[in-house]
Amino acid sequence: MKFRDWIKTITFYEILLGMKETIKHLVHYKPITLQYPHEKKPLAENYRGMLALLRYDDGTEKCVGCDLCEAACPSRVIRVISTEVPGEPTKRYAKEYYMDMTRCLFCGLCVQACPVDALGMTREYEWAVYDKRKLHLNKEQLLAIGDRAFPVREKQLEFQHPNVAYFNVSFKDIPEKAN
Amino acid sequence: MANQESDKFVTITVDGITARVPPGTLVIEAARQIGVMIPHFCYHPKLAPDANCRMCLVEIEKIPKLQTSCSTPVAEGMVVKSSVPNVEEARKSVLEFILANHPLDCPVCDQGGRCDLQDFSHEYTPTTGRFKELKRIFPKEYFSPLIETQMNRCIQCLRCVRYCDQVMDVQALAPSGRGTMTEIKHFSIHELDCEFCGGCVQICPVGAITSRLSMYDFRPWMLKRADTICTYCGDGCQITIQTKDNELIEVNSTHGAGRNNGDLCPRGYFGYHASVHADRLNHPLIRQQDGTYAEVTWEDALELIAERFSQIKLAHGADAFGGLITSRCTNEELYLFQKFMRVVLGTNRIDSSARYGHINGIQALRRVQGTHRWTVTYEDIVAADTLLLVGTNITETNPITGLKVKEAVKKQGAALITIESLLPIRGTISNITTLASHHVPVHPDYFGLAVLGLIKSVLEQGLATASLSERAPTFVQSIRSAVGKVPWETVERHLGLGRDTFVEAARTFSQAKRVIILAGQGVLRAPQGSDVVTNLLDLLILTGHHGRPGCGLGTLAEENNDQGAVEMGAVAEYLPGPSELGDQTARKNLSKIWGDEIPQSPGATLMDMLEEARTGRLKAMFIVGENPVATLPPQAKVEESLDGLEFLVCQELFLTETAKRAHVVLPACSYAEKDGTFTNTEGCVQSVRRAMEPIGESRPDWEVFSALSLLMGNPIEYGEAKEIFKEIRSAISGYGLLGPSATPPRIKDEVVDRYLQEGFKTDVEVRYAFEQENTQPDEMLTLASVQSLFHSGKFSTRAKGLLQIQASGFLNVNPVDATRLGLADGDPVRLSNTRGEATTKVKLLDRVPVGVAFFPEHFDQNIRGLFSLETDPQTRVPYFKLTRVRVDRMQEEIPGKG
Repeated sequence: MKFRDWIKTITFYEILLGMKETIKHLVHYKPITLQYPHEKKPLAENYRGMLALLRYDDGTEKCVGCDLCEAACPSRVIRVISTEVPGEPTKRYAKEYYMDMTRCLFCGLCVQACPVDALGMTREYEWAVYDKRKLHLNKEQLLAIGDRAFPVREKQLEFQHPNVAYFNVSFKDIPEKAN
Repeated sequence: MANQESDKFVTITVDGITARVPPGTLVIEAARQIGVMIPHFCYHPKLAPDANCRMCLVEIEKIPKLQTSCSTPVAEGMVVKSSVPNVEEARKSVLEFILANHPLDCPVCDQGGRCDLQDFSHEYTPTTGRFKELKRIFPKEYFSPLIETQMNRCIQCLRCVRYCDQVMDVQALAPSGRGTMTEIKHFSIHELDCEFCGGCVQICPVGAITSRLSMYDFRPWMLKRADTICTYCGDGCQITIQTKDNELIEVNSTHGAGRNNGDLCPRGYFGYHASVHADRLNHPLIRQQDGTYAEVTWEDALELIAERFSQIKLAHGADAFGGLITSRCTNEELYLFQKFMRVVLGTNRIDSSARYGHINGIQALRRVQGTHRWTVTYEDIVAADTLLLVGTNITETNPITGLKVKEAVKKQGAALITIESLLPIRGTISNITTLASHHVPVHPDYFGLAVLGLIKSVLEQGLATASLSERAPTFVQSIRSAVGKVPWETVERHLGLGRDTFVEAARTFSQAKRVIILAGQGVLRAPQGSDVVTNLLDLLILTGHHGRPGCGLGTLAEENNDQGAVEMGAVAEYLPGPSELGDQTARKNLSKIWGDEIPQSPGATLMDMLEEARTGRLKAMFIVGENPVATLPPQAKVEESLDGLEFLVCQELFLTETAKRAHVVLPACSYAEKDGTFTNTEGCVQSVRRAMEPIGESRPDWEVFSALSLLMGNPIEYGEAKEIFKEIRSAISGYGLLGPSATPPRIKDEVVDRYLQEGFKTDVEVRYAFEQENTQPDEMLTLASVQSLFHSGKFSTRAKGLLQIQASGFLNVNPVDATRLGLADGDPVRLSNTRGEATTKVKLLDRVPVGVAFFPEHFDQNIRGLFSLETDPQTRVPYFKLTRVRVDRMQEEIPGKG
């Protein structure tokens, strides 16, 4: 054993062994760095990107302001202020809808929680900003994201499922809620 | 022994757990006691079993079919199984049928998250239904501005209908239609007009009936709850104020909670917005030279007050100060206010709104039986055999005490004698006289005469207890001779009712085992209030009920802490306790606790203070939450009195008529924003808890008194309201059994003896004398300023919910009078008498007695000018609730009142 160790020492065997890997890499050079933003990686089929609010095909907001997304959100991103639709008494909607995207984990629980599929996860991810406050999105901004990310819209609920009975409809003969 | 016990209890086994329960218990209740929850919709402990929802089916051994546990009473040895496959299969089917038509709009339903149907569906059904058919859809009908119905969600359990009938006795709701098309409706084509107690909203197990007031503003899991006490009347109902982000969302009350057992009235259920009205004062205000108010900091305001108070004290002495506090404050604040006035300013010139009537009852109770509280509780009312109501109009003034009376009559079969100025006619709201077995309809002037008639009848029929003739022969004789001086003819001429009316009532009253008398505002706030209460106590003594368990007299408080105000010594004649101002032991004890002397000078009551202010003897007043300018009629000259003061400080929620005359106005917290205790009319001290952060810069009243005392160099400091309560407990022996059930005091036998031997003699002739002559000319009506079910004081007129039920005052007259005077519903009328005139509109109301008109005291201040003002010579209570007016139809419309 001692003799073999001595031979290895005087011939720099370990160094040669290491150099072999180096030389191999030099000969078979293949870059793995993606030249972002000139190059982009293809996204997975179920990629969870920026959140968006969606509309029906007639342009009305899908959101009924049920606050279930707010309840489902583990990091308190969402804040919903719901009320009666003006001019359409007893119909519920989100008067204000905020998402603080600085906190979002993109877990998608809100999308799963939504009973009317009003939330969608887009494939957008380029949301770096210089001012964090710009990541505090309101309803209009979220709807705009939805508009550009989901150009194909669903029909109103009652046309999709004829048996949904009276789900969030307005009544003409009822006075507005007093304030 | 063993036999006796098994008579009292039966053994029942539910899901393998054995327990012994009283016979007659329903299986569902027995299971609940054991700890097995049987799902149900239509069952509710307050209601008679209906067994219509079929959700509570259980298997009972030896009974072939499944039984509804809500309608099956337990039997000895019964073995109940609630979670066997058979039962679960049945539940599944029941739910499948219910869900066949349910719209499943849980996301937008306000009940979602606290819905029985939702919970049970999650627990007992598969997630998909087999029904392919279209769901039933009801056309939406407008129901009411406050109560929203969504009949598509209804599961037809009829809890609302039964609650409205069995508990509230209103019967505003009814089911219409058959089978799945059953729909809950009200009995008219116009919108729902009922008591608006919110009971149907609270009892609905699904979201079919919800509150429109908070609709869509919240989801149940967002709400922060605080159990506190309602501030609208003396009943002391426990309410749960629910807030979201420091915003009031809704108020409700849990079944079994508080003295009210979860029942509320419209004031409690829909009146909560008053304390968050936009007019709330946010900053301390100091009046400038030009009469405008400048917003200042607390430091500036308090320093100015301390400086001016000190100057006035130096210049004019301690008795140049007067203090007035509202009974809507907590016990802690009332206590600290009187301590501040007595120790820091050094005067006994203190009064509170208990002066408007509640003091009358307390003085009579103290005099005859030595207690300042009821000797009975709400439970005693429910358990009573016979109830006597005098001048209460209890369903409107104290609705929850009224519910106890309704329960006693409807469920326990008690006899009810009512001496009320109401006709026993049903209306949109309940009327206690319709439940009476003996109703004595009287003109509001003559409650005392009717009581006298009852006593006279008791004595004439020889119904007075025999032992009393031995114990106090002179007492019985004097009363006999005193009532003998008022012949039946006089009674008949004034009441329109003679001897016969009282015979049966007197007999029922005397022969009952458990008798309770309730005296209301009609007695306490009318001349001789204290005397009539004393006479009612005489009646109890005469019939031998006085001092028996479950028997007693209760006076109904109008404001939530009238009782506490007197107990805390926030009135001129009492120190905390209440002890007489001259009571040396009490003085010694208090000065030891306070570390300061109690002023010697006599106190001055509200009317005396106003008089002194007018003559210039009183230089400064500290008014907390009270609004005498808008409460007392103009001939009290409150404005003149207050304007003559050198310095007036008001601590208020709003810039009221009184606060507008103040030099400094301090913003105070409402009941929802502070901690403390209220004492209800039955003497139960209950916790008030902070439900939300103070609005603006407002501060709890006690903090202000504490801060002022510091600035005036005589610090009385506390860290929190609890510390004050601790001091109250040390200052008043036997005080403060905080808890769900009040322990009433016992009558003091030595006081009763003293009263029976000597005490009664001083005024027995006066109390039973009747000199009043009916001088009402035919064209005049008696105008009574009464409390409405939908409002309390002026405070509730800022609650948007209540304003939707009743936004203005109407002159309620009987249709007979209306025909006589040529008036129709909605007609504008001019009311006039020698004092002035006012205009309003007429509303016909069947229950108003002929010759009388009611006007709610909360509205239209110009009507106050018509009332006479009379101050009680003994108790110094100002009486201003009755007057006579001419009512004329006006040709032209009243401007601005269309």
